[in-house]
Amino acid sequence: MRIDVRQICFIMFAYTAATKLLMYPTILSQLCGRDLLFSAAISFLIEGIAVWTVAYLCSRTDKTFFQLLQGTLGNVGARIIFGFFAVFFFLAAIIPVFEQEQYVHNIFYDTIPSIGVFLPFFIFAAYAAGKRLTNIGRCADICFPIFLVSIVFLLAMAFPEVQWDDFLPVLKTPATKILRGVSGTALNFFEPCWLLMFMGRFKYKKGDAARITFSYAGGAAAVLLFLTVFYGMYGAVATSRTFAVARMSLFFPAIETLGRIDIILLLALEIVMLFAVVLNIQLATQCISDCAGWGNLKIISVIVNTAMLLILVFTESIYNSIHLVYYKWAWIAVIIFTVLIPILAWALKRRNTNEKQ
Amino acid sequence: MKSNKKDENTVKKPAMKSKLNLSKFSVLVYWLILLVLLVMFFTNDFGLVDIHKTSIITAVAIDSDDDGEVLVTAEIAVPQPSQSGENIKYTQVQGSGLTIADALNEINAKTGFYPKLQFCKLILIGESCRGKQLFRMLGCFYRKNYSELTALTAMCEGNAYDMLALKSNVSNMTSEAIRKVLSDEIEKSANATSANLKKIAAMQYSQSAACFMPYVEVNKPGESENGGNGDNVGGEGSNSGQQGGQGGSGGSGQGQGGGESGGGGQGQGGESPQSGSGGSEQPVEFSARKTAYFSDGNFVGILDEQQAFALAVISNNIRIAVLPCDADDIHYTLGLRNVKCGVDLKVENGVPVLSVKFSARAQIQGARVKVDLQKIIADDAIPASVTKGAETEVRARFEDLLKAVKESGADIIGVKQLLYKKNYKYYDAFKDDILQRMRVDYKIKITSVS
Repeated sequence: MRIDVRQICFIMFAYTAATKLLMYPTILSQLCGRDLLFSAAISFLIEGIAVWTVAYLCSRTDKTFFQLLQGTLGNVGARIIFGFFAVFFFLAAIIPVFEQEQYVHNIFYDTIPSIGVFLPFFIFAAYAAGKRLTNIGRCADICFPIFLVSIVFLLAMAFPEVQWDDFLPVLKTPATKILRGVSGTALNFFEPCWLLMFMGRFKYKKGDAARITFSYAGGAAAVLLFLTVFYGMYGAVATSRTFAVARMSLFFPAIETLGRIDIILLLALEIVMLFAVVLNIQLATQCISDCAGWGNLKIISVIVNTAMLLILVFTESIYNSIHLVYYKWAWIAVIIFTVLIPILAWALKRRNTNEKQ
Repeated sequence: MKSNKKDENTVKKPAMKSKLNLSKFSVLVYWLILLVLLVMFFTNDFGLVDIHKTSIITAVAIDSDDDGEVLVTAEIAVPQPSQSGENIKYTQVQGSGLTIADALNEINAKTGFYPKLQFCKLILIGESCRGKQLFRMLGCFYRKNYSELTALTAMCEGNAYDMLALKSNVSNMTSEAIRKVLSDEIEKSANATSANLKKIAAMQYSQSAACFMPYVEVNKPGESENGGNGDNVGGEGSNSGQQGGQGGSGGSGQGQGGGESGGGGQGQGGESPQSGSGGSEQPVEFSARKTAYFSDGNFVGILDEQQAFALAVISNNIRIAVLPCDADDIHYTLGLRNVKCGVDLKVENGVPVLSVKFSARAQIQGARVKVDLQKIIADDAIPASVTKGAETEVRARFEDLLKAVKESGADIIGVKQLLYKKNYKYYDAFKDDILQRMRVDYKIKITSVS
């Protein structure tokens, strides 16, 4: 039961971009202004190196990350590490789920909907997270073309509004602000962790590390293009434009005549965004399963999603405070889990003792 | 690989049996989910709205009174059940409060619907708002995605609620009739400088801190001023806003203004405050060839048609523009094509130099002489004296505009933005007085089409 490398490439491209289209551009423009592209580029460069590190490690071993940890730290050590990863994936999923809930309420409803309209999401999430990791690959096969078509058309509709001189003067924002942009948006980056979890679950062939890394670079390029269109379009107003992905196409002249044809594209993109958000919940479920040594993913998935649902329902009113905490401190966890651990993974024993002999 | 897969499956099967097998209950689970979804759907928990029970705000008019209260009049489309023909009724409902949000809340209370102004396409600002800070008034529209930034924004003569209550020749939806004179096509012909919420905010929150929007006037059919040079619009004599002036009782179709808050709209169980001839039955026409401009959110004045033309060619991509000019004691109306215009700023020997470049290809569209059918074919090759006259006319318009900019200090052509973006190292040195210190170079070239 393996994932295909093609599917991993699709995940690295489509999910990388899809998880950064809602609040990420707005927050980044608040932190870095017109130099937001540089901040994003730094983030992608750091994470891209980490992705390449893990992808290259995959060429050196057929073992899963859990087996590597087992071989070096023992069974207990591996379970503890996976316990931490489970907590990381769970916490990393909270803000994206909140964002999705607000996005759905804001964009697809003209009235003020109750929180109940979003709750069916957890039925979907519980179902998806109860499946094995191979299903993630199959979903990626479906999501990639949907993502590509929808984002291309949405960007094309917004492109004529871009004012290129909104980015001038270049690099006059203080470096501290640009770095604050990197740290403040760190929780949007978890791709090296995804790859760690896929490690050993796909058959590595020569050149796959490059393919995966280039796919990630493709996703990064899509995000950078989106940020360019977003800021070039809104300029000084960008800092107040939340969920701009659903509003940028409104400036397309044909919308006035034809109506909201872009809603079809937005619904298609929403499908991809939901699968991307669910991926962290799926991986949290998988990590709990590995940590507890209990293979019943369905039950774990129900527990994880119930916990997520309760957090959403009971903390919705303090979302801003939660976001502030994440904004201030989450970068530390992100550096540990998405940069340090992938690099340190090279120090793990890649062969068993009897294999060496 | 396949054999491996089989092995994996065969190894795992006994382990799966020992677990709780949910698949037995899957049908039950799916039925339960379906039941829950059906219950939510039929109890309206999906937030679905019956279109026939809604009130959709298509435009808002904003006025202000002396106490600082804002009076918001919403043009509302009420869909009517109908087998065929006209099935939307338009009406006005008013609300008031210290902020627009207060007023909209009152409107919501009256209409029984909580809209987010997603369908609001026009924001009309009355003359009474001239003394107020524009972005304090409009702040509500920028907060929390309350409305789309595509909504056209314009200032109007007289009271905005009066204008929204007028009947138009071109559409039974007044806001649509007004939007026609602010359309993209009008903008591309330099006949109006249309602006939406995004555009005015982008201008205001730039280094220039100035913005502009079209100034909508009412014209009664058949009351156009005689003569003129083609820039005059009907009804000018009776209703033009005073340039740079305040208030005024407005023009034709305006009532006594004021604005009692809280009055209901037409057909909404209340009385609209418009009176006098404000709600007159006679249909009117709208035009927006003048431009209201603001500095730091404060109203500065109104650009006349010639100044507005100059601003339009600088700000927009013009496809075809009509330019009246005089040459050889004859009045010509030229059609300008391939219009290219732009402003650039450079610092030369310590002096900021603004270069205004304009080029276009012209053809004669009209002349105040008896037409000679044999010579019409030669109209595309226009005499040098006429192109010279056109260049002089264009230059005069730019000079007029720049004079208004310099005198008012409202940087609506974006000189400070150019300084910041393209001459950043001089920004601190010149940012305070560049409008006064800059030298202007005009490079205007009009050639004939053939």
